[in-house]
Amino acid sequence: MIPPFLFWTFALLLLVFGAAVVLNRNPIASALSLVISFIALSALFMSLDAFFIGIMQVLVYAGAVMVLFLFIIMLLDLRAEERRKINVVATTGGALVALAFFAQLYLVIGQLRIASQPFAPLPPKTDDVRNVGALLFSNFNLPFQIIGVLVLVATVGVIVLSKRELR
Amino acid sequence: MVTLGDYLVVSGLLFTIGFAGVMLRRNIIIIFMSLELMLNAANLSLVAFSRARLGPNGLPDYNAQVFVFFIITVAAAEVAVGLAIIVALYRARQTTHVEDISTLKF
Amino acid sequence: MSYLQLLRLASPETVVVVTTLVVLAIGLRNRQSPGLNILVAVLGLAGACAAVFMLPRSAVLFAGMLVISPLTSLFKVICLLLAFFTLLMARNLSSRNHAEYVGMILLATIGLMLLVGSEELLMIFIGLELLGLSLYVLAAFEKHDIRAVEAGLKYFLFGSTASAFTLFGISILYGMSGTTALAAIAQKLAGMPIEPLLAAGVVMTLIGFAFKIAAAPFHLWAPDAYQAAPVTSAAFIASGSKVASFVVLGKIVLIGLAPLHGSAGWHAMAGGWMPLLAVLAALSIVIGNFVALVQTNVRRLLAYSAVAHAGYTLLGLVAGGREGFSATLFYTTIYALTLLGAFGVVGAVRREMGNDDIRDFCGLSRRAPLLAGCMAIFMLSLAGLPPLAGFFGKFYLFSAALRAGGNHGLLWLVALALFGSLISLYYYLIVLKVIFVDAKQETAAVAAPQLDLLQRATLLALAGAIVLFGIMPQTLVSRILAALA
Repeated sequence: MIPPFLFWTFALLLLVFGAAVVLNRNPIASALSLVISFIALSALFMSLDAFFIGIMQVLVYAGAVMVLFLFIIMLLDLRAEERRKINVVATTGGALVALAFFAQLYLVIGQLRIASQPFAPLPPKTDDVRNVGALLFSNFNLPFQIIGVLVLVATVGVIVLSKRELR
Repeated sequence: MVTLGDYLVVSGLLFTIGFAGVMLRRNIIIIFMSLELMLNAANLSLVAFSRARLGPNGLPDYNAQVFVFFIITVAAAEVAVGLAIIVALYRARQTTHVEDISTLKF
Repeated sequence: MSYLQLLRLASPETVVVVTTLVVLAIGLRNRQSPGLNILVAVLGLAGACAAVFMLPRSAVLFAGMLVISPLTSLFKVICLLLAFFTLLMARNLSSRNHAEYVGMILLATIGLMLLVGSEELLMIFIGLELLGLSLYVLAAFEKHDIRAVEAGLKYFLFGSTASAFTLFGISILYGMSGTTALAAIAQKLAGMPIEPLLAAGVVMTLIGFAFKIAAAPFHLWAPDAYQAAPVTSAAFIASGSKVASFVVLGKIVLIGLAPLHGSAGWHAMAGGWMPLLAVLAALSIVIGNFVALVQTNVRRLLAYSAVAHAGYTLLGLVAGGREGFSATLFYTTIYALTLLGAFGVVGAVRREMGNDDIRDFCGLSRRAPLLAGCMAIFMLSLAGLPPLAGFFGKFYLFSAALRAGGNHGLLWLVALALFGSLISLYYYLIVLKVIFVDAKQETAAVAAPQLDLLQRATLLALAGAIVLFGIMPQTLVSRILAALA
């Protein structure tokens, strides 16, 4: 199991850069914060012995999704937004809702019995790629095929929406 | 010791940060990134639960990890469609601010 | 489980997927008229329907990911029918990408069928996303129309936020029960005290569905999507998506969360999903009906009335049990057919007048008696007047709610719903008054709406179905009840 020191380091990285995504004015800075945040998240996945998911996280998010974000930001030439007048009522209201939401969740998690127990140790050899792969092609065969249809939706949809019409 | 509760609290915080971003920010691209944060908070809690619930053979419950695998795929497809809508909007309107979208009122 | 067996049990979905690919391929060559695409798509839907009838009576695959039962087969056919009617009305798209439009409707139909036919949270999530993504694209399809793109964006933002909530809720449900199959979740939860975290999971899961069915206060996307999206897209969003969402919501609460029902009775409020849905229903009925009163655009009016109708339909789920669920299913089916027809009329008027405000319907009865007659049937059915299907649906819902909840505990909700129906009568009649009574001189010169034979036949078929199910509701109700047995 991960030492608490490392856990809190990565958790802090995840949350601080997550907050930076929300707080930055410049979309590019937000996108880069998002990458760091997701790399920290992938470290947390690995601390939970989910190595395959951790790798997927880095590959898909840092490798694909982030490139897509940056590509769109540069394609549309988005600059840092100018300072707008902040809508005080909406901002404090939203912040309060978010805070109340988290307080609720925090209390609720605190009352959970299984949440306070340490993780049980795993057997020395856990080969999670093999296990996940075996499940993917047996029990999760149907959703795996459906994901293909979903990607078709995304492909057709994106092309139709973003191509220029030739007149 | 790091417990399941710690992971859940981190995941809850991440979800809250994302939700706050969706509600507070006006820049659509940043709203999309906040949505990604929310989805990933769910991933973190799924993986943490899968690690806490050991199966009969002492291994984590890999069903939840496969679930996360699907979520990552779906989230990528969702981002692609969302960004395409932004491109279409930008072509028509030259803006990426939610506030500038005012033709539709309540 | 061999691939051949899987292919056989998932044959309706497979047929629709293949049809989609064929339509997209045809679209590469033929960009002039949509007729051929729609013909192929309709044939494909008919083939899928035939495939549904050839399925075995019941089967369960992969711990509930694909469930075949009389109920799922019936609703797969209903979803295919809704897609069929939508396609028949989709002929006047101004975009040149007909094939992609038809393909998207087919892909959304696959999402509907998966949602209806699944009792496992992962498949339900993927079905929701498949449906959601195709509907976002359909809403924003006419991209030269700024308002349509904005409506699509708004729909997307609300939809993805809601699905993030659902996903977080699902992750908690999984954490508490250790499984994602609805039946197994119910087993695990049966002996457990309601932990606060579990309650949070239930609430967050239900938020996503409240969004899909456009229940207040999660309805904010609906008015824009209904008003600004292309008419056919709006019709499909309002009908198909709603039916499938109610089916799957019913399954989640009645199968998966059955041990956590609580009670919404006036004297016996107890924590669980029932009081939650009851509050959603009450809010929807009040907000939907009152805001609808002040609308000047017919599609926006239909959107707010849709919010109110989501409230009525939730009554059946709050009542719970076989009778309540069947009332919900009957009502949502009738509602979807009615709304599809109403959108058909709105689309015709829009093509003629260029807009769909209430005043554009002025004197429609003289210009196009057929359209006006159909619209009258749809509106009166929505208002719940006998002998139309809407009346029987409401009657069935309210009586199920009255009988449930012990000692007329749900009387408060039923009374509220009756009050809401009374208010709704006013705004439906306003539309009819404009159509039949008002006559302005300037509109008299406008030519009658051009409808080809097929579209006339579609509208007549829908109106006929509403009248038929009003006079003989047993034809559908008995099927639903038998399927739920």
